[in-house]
Amino acid sequence: MIQKKVCMVGVFGTGKTSLVQQFVHSIFSAKYHSTVGVKIDRKVVDIGGTSVGLVLWDLAGRDASEDIPASYLKGSHAILFVVDGTRRETFDQLASLRELGRSAAGDVPSMVALNKADLTGEWVLGAREEAALTSQGHWLRTSAKTGAGVEEAFDWIARATLGEAGGAS
Amino acid sequence: MPDERAAPPDYLGLARDYDPASEEFAELRELLLGAERRQLAQLQRQLEKEQSPEGLADQLPEAIALRSGRDRQLARALAPTIDDAITESVRQNPREIATAIFPVLGPAIRKALAEAMAALVESINRAVEHTFSLRGLKWRLEAWRTGTPYAQIVIKHALVYRVEQVFLIHAETGLLLVHAAPPELKVTDADLISGMLTAIQDFVGDSFQQQEGGKLRTFSVGELTVIVEPGPQAVLAAVVRGQPPESLLVKLQERLETVHFQFAAAFADFSGNAAPFAPAQAMLEECLETVLSHQRTRAARGRLAWLRWALPLVLLAAALVWVALARQRRWSDAVTRLRAEPGIEIVEAERSGGTWRFRGLKDPLAAEPAVILAGLGADTAKLDARWKPYVSLEPSLVTARARQALSAPASVNFRLSGDTLYAEGAATLAWVSRASSLPMLPPGISFLSLSAVAANLSPELAALKSQIEGSLILFDIGSAAVLPARRGTLDSVGAAILSLSAATGRLGYRTDLELLGRADTTGTEETNQNLSRARVDAVGGRLVGLGVRPEAWSGVPLGVSNPLPGRDGIDQAQANRSVAFVVRVRPEASPPEGPR
Repeated sequence: MIQKKVCMVGVFGTGKTSLVQQFVHSIFSAKYHSTVGVKIDRKVVDIGGTSVGLVLWDLAGRDASEDIPASYLKGSHAILFVVDGTRRETFDQLASLRELGRSAAGDVPSMVALNKADLTGEWVLGAREEAALTSQGHWLRTSAKTGAGVEEAFDWIARATLGEAGGAS
Repeated sequence: MPDERAAPPDYLGLARDYDPASEEFAELRELLLGAERRQLAQLQRQLEKEQSPEGLADQLPEAIALRSGRDRQLARALAPTIDDAITESVRQNPREIATAIFPVLGPAIRKALAEAMAALVESINRAVEHTFSLRGLKWRLEAWRTGTPYAQIVIKHALVYRVEQVFLIHAETGLLLVHAAPPELKVTDADLISGMLTAIQDFVGDSFQQQEGGKLRTFSVGELTVIVEPGPQAVLAAVVRGQPPESLLVKLQERLETVHFQFAAAFADFSGNAAPFAPAQAMLEECLETVLSHQRTRAARGRLAWLRWALPLVLLAAALVWVALARQRRWSDAVTRLRAEPGIEIVEAERSGGTWRFRGLKDPLAAEPAVILAGLGADTAKLDARWKPYVSLEPSLVTARARQALSAPASVNFRLSGDTLYAEGAATLAWVSRASSLPMLPPGISFLSLSAVAANLSPELAALKSQIEGSLILFDIGSAAVLPARRGTLDSVGAAILSLSAATGRLGYRTDLELLGRADTTGTEETNQNLSRARVDAVGGRLVGLGVRPEAWSGVPLGVSNPLPGRDGIDQAQANRSVAFVVRVRPEASPPEGPR
């Protein structure tokens, strides 16, 4: 089986872990985040009859005191940036996270998941932000709560690692 | 720009007079084009300078720095050339290359040495740890027994380990390339573990600000030790239970190098597909085969094998020894028993195969050896015994022989003291008579004493004796005359005593008769004494008249002493006016006390 390393990067509290919790195979507990700073899970995606094992490096969210260790990003085949659609600052930091990803992993496919899509009432991202995202690459609304968009996100990521996804940047 | 050498159009028809070298012309030219010409010349010089090697030398460093800052194109472009250059250089002048990279090699070698030293120290620590334990003593014994240096024994025992899993991990991505584990070990998440191992390595590297190359190499969790051997393209991680020896590290390093060498192309093209690395599986599984230290395994197997055949053998040997000892004991018991048996003299005794062989002497009266041996549990069917008869002087056999010779009844016991055989108990008069007249005593006996044997009369004779002693010859008051009415009684007493005498006389005994004369209490004692004597004499005379030899009877006039009892005074008086009889049978030649 082909395996791909995928890093999930985002600001603290964007719901990266929740995003994968229901959809991946995991043997490590969430406490790895506070200790090692990364939790590794697996998600097998079927792309046109080919199984792709996504080894998801769920990186601890960036917060004010701690940056994401670049070494974890090294060698990634794709990066999934996670933004909390209800918190504008998580969107604002996207650029610097992208830069971090590029410097550590090079030009690998990436996409943005606008998470917490179920919280429409608190949604703060408008058409302008979405247009900006569109110009930078692929993005999707996801909801860890309802599961909306999650499978599609991983599917896109898997295709992207195989060089099949449209719009991979 | 117009060519300076091109001639201007001849507008004034002065061409014939035109001389480009003329001073005026030069002046004119200077006036018209001077500044531009100087500028041109300077530009040309600059251009020439830039295109020369000197110019390139000035600008190249700046250019490289600029381009490297922008992208990696230059590095990519130069890499093959540099590779070739280095290869060529090494081929042509290895010494210089060696000198050049020595500063790099030095620390690397020092690092390797330091690791080796650390392993050695670890071994020594273990050795010291085991020196004073019970196990240590056992190992010392083993060292002494096998003649192996103690240190080797310690290492042999200390290095027990089991490589449970081996991971080949892509260094950059942390993706699992190959995983080897014994079939019984169910590992389903090797890819996650592989990722996490890589993450932990990164984490440790980042946390402790290790320089490039300084990676987490080993960590322990309880009994498990994880050895991580990093390489440029891949990492080899081994999960080891127990104490991994240094040799394992070397082995992992060698495997990792081989993997790098064999799969160089696969590494270059790697994009998540581990399939090209499948052939490395066998190589990793080889690492698993060192489940236990070879020496240890071999030694253990050797010991077990030894036990496998030695244990039954020892048991068999023990059983055989036990059987042999039991046989030996039974044999020696038998010999001892026979030697102790009176009348048996063993001259030769030997045991061969299952047969017991005896040669010796046996008194015919001795116990039968076969019976004795059978009583000891011996197999008499395998008994080969030849006994020559002889006469034993053992007291028990002497007495037995005497008993046989004398046909002694069971009521007679014998006791041998010196060469005198004492007979005790009771026997018939006939036996005593026969015994005393035995012409020859058995061997070992010079004298036979029968004085302690009570001689019994035969029933008929005893009846005669009773008849005589039960008879009482009564007299009238004051008379010593035998009344006619009493003569019959006296006659039968006479006949009885004659028969008895005749019978005992034939056995060498004489029978004496005592006549006890009594008187009643009337009259004086003297009268009564005389009367009792007279009565005795009267009866004795009468008996002599009947044929009894005078010396065969004796009178005992009792007077009124020892009176007989009676129903009443009259009856008693009558009973005591009498003569009673006591019969005594004694050996003819024996002293007066005779047989009792």
